[in-house]
Amino acid sequence: MRKYAVIYRSVLMENLQYAANIAMGFISFLIIIFVFISLWDYMYASPDDLIAGYTKEQMIWYVMITEMIWFGARSATITRQAAADIRGGNIAYLVNKPYRYPLYVLAKYTGEWNIQLPMYAMATAVIGLTMVGRIPNFHVTTLLLAVPCVLAGVTIHGVLKLCISMFSFWIEDSNPFQWLYDKLILVVGTIFPIEIFPAALQPVIKLTPIYTVCYGPAKLIVDFSMEKYLEILLVQMVYLGAGCGILFLLYEKGGRKLYVNGG
Amino acid sequence: MLMAVKNQIRVCALSVKYNIMREMLNKVTFLTNILFMMLNNATFIIQWIILLRLKDNVGGYTMREIMLLWGLAASSFGLSHILFARVFSLPDLIVSGKLDAYLVQPKNVLLGVMTSGTDTSAIGDFLYGLLIMCIFCFSVKRFFLFLLFTVTGAAIVTAFALLMGSLSFWLIRAEMFGTHMVGSMTSFSTYPDGIFKGVVRFVLYSVIPVGMSIYLPVHIMMDFDRARLFVVLGYTLLLTAAAVTVFYRGLRRYSSSSLMGARM
Repeated sequence: MRKYAVIYRSVLMENLQYAANIAMGFISFLIIIFVFISLWDYMYASPDDLIAGYTKEQMIWYVMITEMIWFGARSATITRQAAADIRGGNIAYLVNKPYRYPLYVLAKYTGEWNIQLPMYAMATAVIGLTMVGRIPNFHVTTLLLAVPCVLAGVTIHGVLKLCISMFSFWIEDSNPFQWLYDKLILVVGTIFPIEIFPAALQPVIKLTPIYTVCYGPAKLIVDFSMEKYLEILLVQMVYLGAGCGILFLLYEKGGRKLYVNGG
Repeated sequence: MLMAVKNQIRVCALSVKYNIMREMLNKVTFLTNILFMMLNNATFIIQWIILLRLKDNVGGYTMREIMLLWGLAASSFGLSHILFARVFSLPDLIVSGKLDAYLVQPKNVLLGVMTSGTDTSAIGDFLYGLLIMCIFCFSVKRFFLFLLFTVTGAAIVTAFALLMGSLSFWLIRAEMFGTHMVGSMTSFSTYPDGIFKGVVRFVLYSVIPVGMSIYLPVHIMMDFDRARLFVVLGYTLLLTAAAVTVFYRGLRRYSSSSLMGARM
C-alpha cells in the first residue's frame, strides 16, 4: 500500500500547486447553481410548498450538494487519461511497473478529489448560506455522519468511470459510454431526489449508481435519519465491492488482449 | 474580389470535408460518437417530463417550446463545432505558439484556424436538433426559420468563442475564464428565459449572448415578428464583425514560441 500512498501524495502536492486553476472552475459551478436556484425558485409557487416532501430550501441544498459531488469528483485521470493509455498503447509500459494499474489510477484520482472536493464544499456552503439560507433542522453531527457517505460516493463514482474507461480494451473510444453514465448521474441524479419520480420507477432508480453516488450523501445532509444512513452505507459497501470486482475483471480480461508490436 | 471569396469558401469547405473524412477512418467510432451524442441529448427529455409534471409550464414554456429551445441550442452548438471547432481551442493555439502554421498559409488566417478541426459528436447535436424540431413542432415556415436561426446561433456561438479566445492575446490566464464563459452559454441556453429575472435577464441578452442566439429566435418561431428577426440578424453581424476585429487586433501582439511541429 505504501507505493499507492506515495502516488497519492505526489498527486495531492501537484494539485495543491494548481489550486488557483481549480478555483477558476467555480465560475461554471456558480453558473450551474444559479440556474438551478432560478429553476426551483420558479417551481415553488410559495416558499411553504412541498415537492416530493422537500421544502424549497431542502430541494436547492440537495441540488447544490449533488453538484458539489459532481464537480468535486471531476477527473481526467479516470476518463480521458486511462482511456488514452489503453488506446494509445502506453498501458504496455504501465503494466510492467510494480503496481496494479487500476489502483495506480485510483490513487491519482483520490489525490485529485482530495483537493477539489473540499474546495467545492466550501464554495457550496458560502453560496448556500448567502443565497438560500440554512438547511432546515440541520445539525453539525449530521454533517460528520454524512462525510463517510460522501467519500464512499465519490470513490464509487471513480471506480465506475474507470470501469467504463476499461471498455477501451475492446472498443476504440469509450467516451460515448462515459457520456451516457454522466447523463444518468447528471439528469436523473443531481437535479431530482428519487422521491420525485413515479413510485413504480423509484425501486429501479435505487438500484442504479445514482442512489450511492448522489442521492444517498445529499439526502443524508438535507434530511438525516439513522435508518436511511445505515441503508445507504450498506448499499455503498456492496456497490464498492462489486464495482472493484468488475474493474479488476475487466482489467485482467482486457490485459490479455494486449500484444506487443515491437519497434 | 468575388473570385477570391469563392476560392476562400472552397478552401474552407474542403478543409471541413477532409476533417470529417479523417474522422470517418474508423467508421464504428464515428457512428457511435454521433448516435450516442443524440442519445445523450435525449436524456434531458426525462428532466423536462418530470418538471412539467410538477407544473403546467416552466418560465412560460410548455413541452413544445422547451423542445424547440433544446433543438435550436443543440443545432447551433452542433453546427458551430462541425464547421469551426478549432475556435474553441484558440487560447491553446495562441499560448503555445501553434498559430505559426496558419500564418504562413496563403489564405485567410482566421478561417484557416477555425476550419482546421471538426468535432464528430457535434454532428449528433446538429441532427438531434433538427430531429426534435421536426417531431415536436414542425411547420414548413418554422422549419426554414429554424435553419436560419441555427446559422445565426452558430455564428453567435462562434463569434463569442472567438472573442473570449482572443483575450489570450493579452492575458495568459484568460484561457480558463473564456472557456467557462463559453460553457455558460450552453448552461443557460437549455433553460427557459422566463425563470431568470432582473439583471440576469439583461446579462443574458447582452454580455452572454444566449438571448440573441436562442431565446429571441424561439420567441420569433412561436410568434413571428419581422422587426425582432432583423434585430437577431443585425446582432449576429455586429458580434461577428467585433470578434473578427478583436482577433486581428490581438494577432498583431502574437509572437511565435518557436514551436516545431507538423500539421498532417
